[in-house]
Amino acid sequence: MAFMSIENVYKTYNDQSGSAAVPVLRAVNVAITEGEFICLMGPSGSGKSTVLTIVGAMNRPTRGKVIVDDIDVYALSDEHRADFRREYIGFVFQQHHLLPYLNTLENVMLPLATAPMSSHEKKERAIRVLQRVGLSDKAARLPNQLSGGEQGRVAIARALVNDPPLILADEPTGTLDTKTGSEIMALFLELNALGQTIFMVTHNNENAALAHRVLNIRDGALDGEGQQPDGGILLTSGSTASFLSL
Amino acid sequence: MRISTIAFANLKRRKGKALFLTVGIAIGIGTVVAMLSLGASIQQEVGAQLDRFGANILIVPQSNNLALDYGGVSVPGVAFDVHQLHNDDIQRIREIPYHDRLAVIAPKVLSAADVEGQQAVLAGVDFKQELKLRRWWSITGRQPEHEDDVLIGYEAARAFSLIHSMEATGPQHAEHSGHQSHPNGPADTPFTITRNQVSINGQSHHVAGVIAPTGGPEDRMVFGSLVHVQQLVNKPGQLNVIEVSALCKGCPVSDIVAQISSKLPNAKVSAVQQAVKARTEMVDKLTRFSAVVGAVVLVIGALIIFTTMMGSVVERTKEIGVLRAIGFRRMHIMQGLFIEVAIVSALGGWLGWISGLLASWLALPYFSETSVRLEFHPALLLFAVCAALLIGILSCIYPALRASNLDPSEAVRSI
Repeated sequence: MAFMSIENVYKTYNDQSGSAAVPVLRAVNVAITEGEFICLMGPSGSGKSTVLTIVGAMNRPTRGKVIVDDIDVYALSDEHRADFRREYIGFVFQQHHLLPYLNTLENVMLPLATAPMSSHEKKERAIRVLQRVGLSDKAARLPNQLSGGEQGRVAIARALVNDPPLILADEPTGTLDTKTGSEIMALFLELNALGQTIFMVTHNNENAALAHRVLNIRDGALDGEGQQPDGGILLTSGSTASFLSL
Repeated sequence: MRISTIAFANLKRRKGKALFLTVGIAIGIGTVVAMLSLGASIQQEVGAQLDRFGANILIVPQSNNLALDYGGVSVPGVAFDVHQLHNDDIQRIREIPYHDRLAVIAPKVLSAADVEGQQAVLAGVDFKQELKLRRWWSITGRQPEHEDDVLIGYEAARAFSLIHSMEATGPQHAEHSGHQSHPNGPADTPFTITRNQVSINGQSHHVAGVIAPTGGPEDRMVFGSLVHVQQLVNKPGQLNVIEVSALCKGCPVSDIVAQISSKLPNAKVSAVQQAVKARTEMVDKLTRFSAVVGAVVLVIGALIIFTTMMGSVVERTKEIGVLRAIGFRRMHIMQGLFIEVAIVSALGGWLGWISGLLASWLALPYFSETSVRLEFHPALLLFAVCAALLIGILSCIYPALRASNLDPSEAVRSI
């Protein structure tokens, strides 16, 4: 049974003049089971980011459904979708997007700011996650006092603090050197080994090689699946829109 | 970690902008506070000056008058059930709850008298009180000091040949006492006193001074000391009228009238509507002017907040997108912006209150001729902070709505 499924999703944007519709995604179908590590690869402009924002409950598809844990995400109201993001999804952005005026601990606690729990509990959870990513000794530092790799780890810690079932990562090593990038990927693998489901967009073949499955997207359609030797299954074809689920 | 933590931290990071916004609000609120403070002080001064220009309450004996006319011929009114006022009534007036607001109590006894063989109106007055009330009188000679001293109106003095007009020979004032000139009256008519003795009801009196023409009834009257005139006209202890000048800053004249009426049930107490109306109109004009200037300044302040917050929202698009992406509701985004504006507004309001008071304290000498003190109202602080909060939050509604409506996927477009 798929934990998350993208069912026959289409996305069309209007061009700048607003007169013509530009198709971005066509008949995308993906199913992800719990604990999977999936990479989405494709050239620039192929629709990777759009897939990620649609999966992340931030971008309503023109057609199709996104079902997570039996919840039809886009049937939810806008405010409930925000709650859904807080409960179900941890984002790791390419630029990390840490708030520069909050220290490491505060940045990690950010998703808990609206959660109904005591300040003490929020702090304890954030410290626990920081320990998990090996940054508990840098809790008081501002982002500009951290290295790129450390910022990446803070971003991962922020994504984990709510204990979300799904981590969405956008090229998390894209701005890092090879060594630091490897450290971050090692952290993702470690999390995945503990059962964390990860959906990652990447250009990096080495990173993709670490995933259970690799989805390739071109011109808005998934055109092939690279299944890893030990990986699961699945994916679809834009042309056939066939949908397989484990 | 709460939404307020983010708001505080953001303000700390953008100190310059927060300072600009705070100063903007402080200037707006400060101007309004200064206008209100100055307005209140000037109103106090205007009120005090108008109060000085004569009585605003008139007390006469209670009587039932009938105005009679027959075939177009007027018959003098018939008065009956007349209750007299007495010297004791002055003390009763001083016992009203608002007694501290009574600046002048000027009793009078009025009677026709034979002056130098002619009929004239003789008024017995308490000179000390009367001269406080008639500050515009300009007396040639001196103020009365003795029982038999009298002051004579200009027209009466001319009629009794007590003065010599100097219009033909040029202005050579003699013995001019320092009393104020009437602001509107026909003052500065030069004359000299040629005779200082006058016979009233057969008794010789000393002419202490002659009142320069005022255009009022006093021009044709003779004024003597109250007790002396009461004896002279055989009305011992009796009064015909008591004029009261009430300093009515913060108290309606009608309250004082009601209090005097309850003390003097047999007297007719009425407010001199003209004086009250003039004062009220002047105060109303000042208030309206302050309100208009204040409103304009507050609108400008609101625009400053609006443009600054709009700029802030645009600048923080990506940050807002990140917050939305990690689960902040629209309401949470708005809440964060409102907290920031509320902090800055409250601080601006408080600083505005201080700077407004300071500005009005510095400016007051340029607006006021007399030493009017600045009014310190604790309620003004509350007003300043509340007004700043209201303006801040109202101005922030649109920017906050815009921020909350940002599409998170657009806001974090780089992902």
